Amino acid sequence: MENKYDFEKKYRDQILKCSRCGFCQAVCPVYGSTLRPALNARGKMLLLKEVMDEKIELNDDLIESLFQCATCAACVKDCPSDVDVPEIIKQVRKDMVHIGSCHPAFKGMNEVLQKHTNIYAEDEVPDFERKRGQRAENVYFIGCVGSYREEETTDATLNLMDRLEVDYTLIEEVCCSGVLEDVGFEINKDLAERNVESILATGAKRVITGCPYCWRTFNAKPDYAVLEQRGVTVIHITQLLKEFDWEVKTEKRVTYHDSCDLGRHCGIYAEPRLTIGKIAPNFVEMPHNHDDALCCGAGGGVRGAYAKNSIAMARRRLKEVEETGAEVVLSDCNSCIHNLVNAKLRKQKFEIRTTAEFINMLMDEQLKDDSIS
Amino acid sequence: MEIQGYYLPDGLYYEENHFWVKEEDGLLVLGMDDFAQKMAGEVVYIQLPDEGKIIKAGKKFAKLESGKWLGKVFGPVNGELAAVNEELEENPGLINEDCYGKGWMFKIRPDDIGEMANLLHEPEEIEKWLLAEIEKYAEDK
Repeated sequence: MENKYDFEKKYRDQILKCSRCGFCQAVCPVYGSTLRPALNARGKMLLLKEVMDEKIELNDDLIESLFQCATCAACVKDCPSDVDVPEIIKQVRKDMVHIGSCHPAFKGMNEVLQKHTNIYAEDEVPDFERKRGQRAENVYFIGCVGSYREEETTDATLNLMDRLEVDYTLIEEVCCSGVLEDVGFEINKDLAERNVESILATGAKRVITGCPYCWRTFNAKPDYAVLEQRGVTVIHITQLLKEFDWEVKTEKRVTYHDSCDLGRHCGIYAEPRLTIGKIAPNFVEMPHNHDDALCCGAGGGVRGAYAKNSIAMARRRLKEVEETGAEVVLSDCNSCIHNLVNAKLRKQKFEIRTTAEFINMLMDEQLKDDSIS
Repeated sequence: MEIQGYYLPDGLYYEENHFWVKEEDGLLVLGMDDFAQKMAGEVVYIQLPDEGKIIKAGKKFAKLESGKWLGKVFGPVNGELAAVNEELEENPGLINEDCYGKGWMFKIRPDDIGEMANLLHEPEEIEKWLLAEIEKYAEDK
């Protein structure tokens, strides 16, 4: 039988390897918040097998299942057949866009990134009271969520880097556009070129990203390969912070939310814990942590396309925070922070912050205490 | 009154960022007007600050989101946050379903209720303002 779609050409064997065991159901955040088997990884693989067997058509009827995936990769970790569901889903979405079947929110995201420089179509860029495009050893790349939704977190991160005397500059950054590859489209080469040019113009040999997704895009997408070729390394802010020792500590009970992008996709688990271990002796892990962490539901375009379910996924994660008795939950992904803050109930009194923001806050408090005494 | 499909009940006061206000037992009830809720689309999140928060006229005191749109709620007068609509925590869509009723957002204890005079209230000025707003946002709709 001839393969009709690219997902069949690339992933037919993997889809057929799915043994329907249902291990993925236990960890799928979409299933967890909807309790609909058609939406978990096994359900998606069954649908795709039926498409390959020409029992059903790949069309708009499948949007709800195939576009509702946070690409968190929790299913991959537990899959005994090694089915790489997020990669299959990303390819299927491209095939669907090709035949004209696409979730309107994803289509909208692509249109926005053809006309604007960020995923929110914001025209006013916050300046964070810092010059951009200066010569420096490091470029700090904020990302869309940090620039337009979590400005206070970004401000605190920049203040912390100032305190640490990190030689950095901001640039006239535009969306890395990696997310387009997740929602059925191609990376925007013009935006990628603009970022590469802006970074290289500073003479920096290192890019520090505030967003783990930008880190993935810069390190994995061919459009950014020139950075490595020109000797520019790309690290995440957690990899910078782990190098420092701190004179501040908190007595508060602290827990940590592993973002899917930073954890399962980038493998960065130890670095944030190394930093947190230095400042928070009362650290406690959530029941699901490291590569077993529950997804907050912000990724894979789900926050934009299925906002209610996305918030329901975040609420499941916050329930775990509650169970630890933590007063602070830290996470190092602005998308997670944004979704968790949106989902937090008024009765949940814990703080939600990035590690950098929290350390900066402790430093502010110490400064205040010192000035009083 | 209804202007080009947008319903703005008479008797309410309107803040220029599209929040309505009415006096009720010495408190000011605030919500989003019909024009704003239609422009925003389905509201998925509204920040509900703790009661007691100081509110300053013209300054942001809460945020709300619908899909990719981020909105700000501005203080219509100076005062203090007296109550929030806790129903919106689980169901922010009430703002779209019934923006002048079950979708109310906040109750404010004003420092000086006389500051309501700074808000839009007369039918003629409301009509003039809304027509200008419709034209301003025509491209975004």
